[in-house]
Amino acid sequence: MIGLPRHTGAIVLFGGAALVPLVIRDAFFLDSLVLILLWGALSAAWNVAGGYAGQVSIGHASFFGIGAYAGALMVTRFSKSPWLGMILGVVVSIGAGLVIGFLSNRLKGPYFALSTIALSQVLLIAVSRWRGFTAGGEGIPVPYRPGFATLGLGHVAWVYMALAVAIIYYGVEVYLEHSRIGYQLAGVREDEDAAEALGIATRRLKVIAVTVSAALTSVCGTLWAQYVGFVDPAYVFSVDLSVRFALNTIIGGIGTALGPYLGSILITVLETYLRATFAGMKAGFTGIYLVIYGAALILVVRWAPEGLTGIAARLRARWAAGARGARAHA
Amino acid sequence: MDPARRLGPAQIDAVAQLGVSTVLLGGIYALIAVGLTLIFGIMRVVNFAHGEFLMLGMYLAFWSFTLWGVDPYFILFVAIPLFFVVGLVTYVLVMKGVITASHNVQIFTTFGLSILLQNVALVSWSGDFRFVRPWHLSVALRVGGTTFNLSQVVAFVISVVLTVALFAFMKFTHTGRVMRATAQDRDAATLMGIDTDRVYRLTFAIGIAAVGAAGVLVAPLYSVYPTAGLQFVLLSYVVVVLGGLGDMAGALIGSLIVAAVEVAGSYVFGIAWKEIFYFLLFILVLVFRPAGLFGQRGSETLGA
Amino acid sequence: MLTLENVTKRFGGLTAVRAVSLDVRERELVGIIGPNGAGKTTLFNVVSGYYRPEEGRVVFAGSDVTGRAPHDICRLGLTRTFQIVKPFGNLSVLDNVMIGALTRTPTVRAARSDAERVVETCGLAPYATARARALPIALRKRLEVARALATRPRVLLLDEVMAGLNPTELGGMVDLIRRLHAEGLTVIVIEHIMAAMMRLAQRIVVLHHGEKIAEGTPAQIVADRRVVDAYLGEEFVLAQA
Repeated sequence: MIGLPRHTGAIVLFGGAALVPLVIRDAFFLDSLVLILLWGALSAAWNVAGGYAGQVSIGHASFFGIGAYAGALMVTRFSKSPWLGMILGVVVSIGAGLVIGFLSNRLKGPYFALSTIALSQVLLIAVSRWRGFTAGGEGIPVPYRPGFATLGLGHVAWVYMALAVAIIYYGVEVYLEHSRIGYQLAGVREDEDAAEALGIATRRLKVIAVTVSAALTSVCGTLWAQYVGFVDPAYVFSVDLSVRFALNTIIGGIGTALGPYLGSILITVLETYLRATFAGMKAGFTGIYLVIYGAALILVVRWAPEGLTGIAARLRARWAAGARGARAHA
Repeated sequence: MDPARRLGPAQIDAVAQLGVSTVLLGGIYALIAVGLTLIFGIMRVVNFAHGEFLMLGMYLAFWSFTLWGVDPYFILFVAIPLFFVVGLVTYVLVMKGVITASHNVQIFTTFGLSILLQNVALVSWSGDFRFVRPWHLSVALRVGGTTFNLSQVVAFVISVVLTVALFAFMKFTHTGRVMRATAQDRDAATLMGIDTDRVYRLTFAIGIAAVGAAGVLVAPLYSVYPTAGLQFVLLSYVVVVLGGLGDMAGALIGSLIVAAVEVAGSYVFGIAWKEIFYFLLFILVLVFRPAGLFGQRGSETLGA
Repeated sequence: MLTLENVTKRFGGLTAVRAVSLDVRERELVGIIGPNGAGKTTLFNVVSGYYRPEEGRVVFAGSDVTGRAPHDICRLGLTRTFQIVKPFGNLSVLDNVMIGALTRTPTVRAARSDAERVVETCGLAPYATARARALPIALRKRLEVARALATRPRVLLLDEVMAGLNPTELGGMVDLIRRLHAEGLTVIVIEHIMAAMMRLAQRIVVLHHGEKIAEGTPAQIVADRRVVDAYLGEEFVLAQA
């Protein structure tokens, strides 16, 4: 890929996704595509805090759940548009993001991760018990009403909606890689004390990164709720979900723009495949893909910390070196 | 309630009951937490998979009870050495490289382990809730106005015995001193000729043995399912953070506090809300006194 | 330019810095020496905002900056380096310096050209695209200086930038600091290596057990009995007598 323009991967990926609905009409396939794009976007949102700012949270489900509930409640309880719910979700998530941002300035590494988990569990329990308002543990079914204002879209429309979000989030990441704030964030990530000595307001930047990440996650939460049609507190606030956002990004390449999307593709495809293969067997067997994730996480984080993008870069370098050698001998 | 009113017998009974429940529960939490604080204090690693070893202990109790009718308290004699070995193996295979690695590696390695173990359990034994119902679970004891069952008491007593044994080991044996030295300053320990790798191996093995034993003890009191570990791990982190990292006595006191919060919270607000209290407590502690009630200020940043 | 008034810093029962007062005028090159544990780096930490002193004030360019955040103090024009270098390991040398430059310039492009100039000045041009992590210690120390320089400080605090350098590298660093000073920078240097200090400093301050025990020109300091005593012990002084 030496010599190819910088965003080739993204163009291929997103361009390909844009073309798919024109060719394939199978509902299951389109559904998978929507999920891949949404998970990719969610992972990219996590990447803003976890990858670019170095604040590893395992509680991003907090923001996802807030967004999902905000949208669902706005529709079912107040009969308003889910878009309004999205805005509300973003506002509340920013509030939660400020709390997490505050914690990121008080706690390091694993302690911080623990606190993010605690927050997501507090929200899970609170929402599950607050039957009067949130219908408690039963969850909220989100009615489907056709139309853009009600986010009642057909399969193909959802693909393009998810694609739009994915591209926007990719753009946010790219901006972070090339902007002033992005470079300063890289400094914060690498060595906070040194960054501070160079005039960077590290505490403020961390809070900004976490809050932006929270808002982006919340938006996708609202969309997801409308797409899937059901909000279950035990799922939307779950630790598993939080880990998934991180998992996609780590496998794909943490701190890179395309990484979250690559990871999302690999993980979602693998999951769909394994689920289908083991569908006939006893219920527990669907857990096998999670066994693989667990193992993958352990292995990748130790032996291939730069994920798929790192592996791709190394292959590219080796190929380029080989090509150079071949030319030299020619 | 009018504070001027004298506490009548009903209120005293309630308080006494709460007190007894707290102590019984606290003892068990202590056993879980003590292993964790050791690992935390000596290896400086946050082990996200700690709860999963507890879960495995619970399943050990369940299967040995269901398949062979062995009472959990007897299987304990097998469980302790078994989990000790499991700890050794896990250390060598997974944890060894994590100690000197970055925070990210630590977090995601132990998290990966947690996911792995949870789902191995799910795949092997399904997600159905299992129950261990030995004879002593239905034996009710009444002392004063309080009631509790035999299982709770025995679990408590054994927990305390094991915890005290661990304390004694750490305080009075040479190995214990070596481990404490490594906790204080790992570089100095190396310079003194201490094989830190061996210390870590032992620490982790002991920590896992402790939590595996706790799992066996706790099996009759809770339902057994693959993700049973999650609630305990978060709880034990609350305990450890409260008590200060690496502080065993702190872990003990922390256990009592957490147990008290849980018991009192369930009594006042109902069982459904009990977990929320220690999570909130956790967040509050992290915000205001991250080094714990007894730890040194700033020690939470000592990390890796 | 920079004034310390009776600065005292305590850590629990330990008084790391005790009632130290210091005046640094514009365009001076002042050295701070003292045995290990004398409180030199702690002093830097107080001046640059990483520690808040229990007593005393730090006044920089007319304003009281005591206890202000390090990044604020940097923006006001005082930048420090770290004794144990802290490069942004995974970033290139140029990116490292650029991050410093970004504090002064709003655009990445302008910062990059600023950084290129600084990299050139500090003799790091051949390594501009190398990852900071891959550099040997001598170049890391240069990078530390370059990065601080990119923030366009009025006062530069250098903490033991010579430690670990071989004689050639040392000479290069001394030259660099001389050059920067000649261009108008006020520099305060903590150093252990006396030969380098003697060549550079116009004035030397000696710390011992957190207190300032002597201050003067290099010649005065070397002859000062208290200084010799602190470094080499009383027996040596008596033996000399």
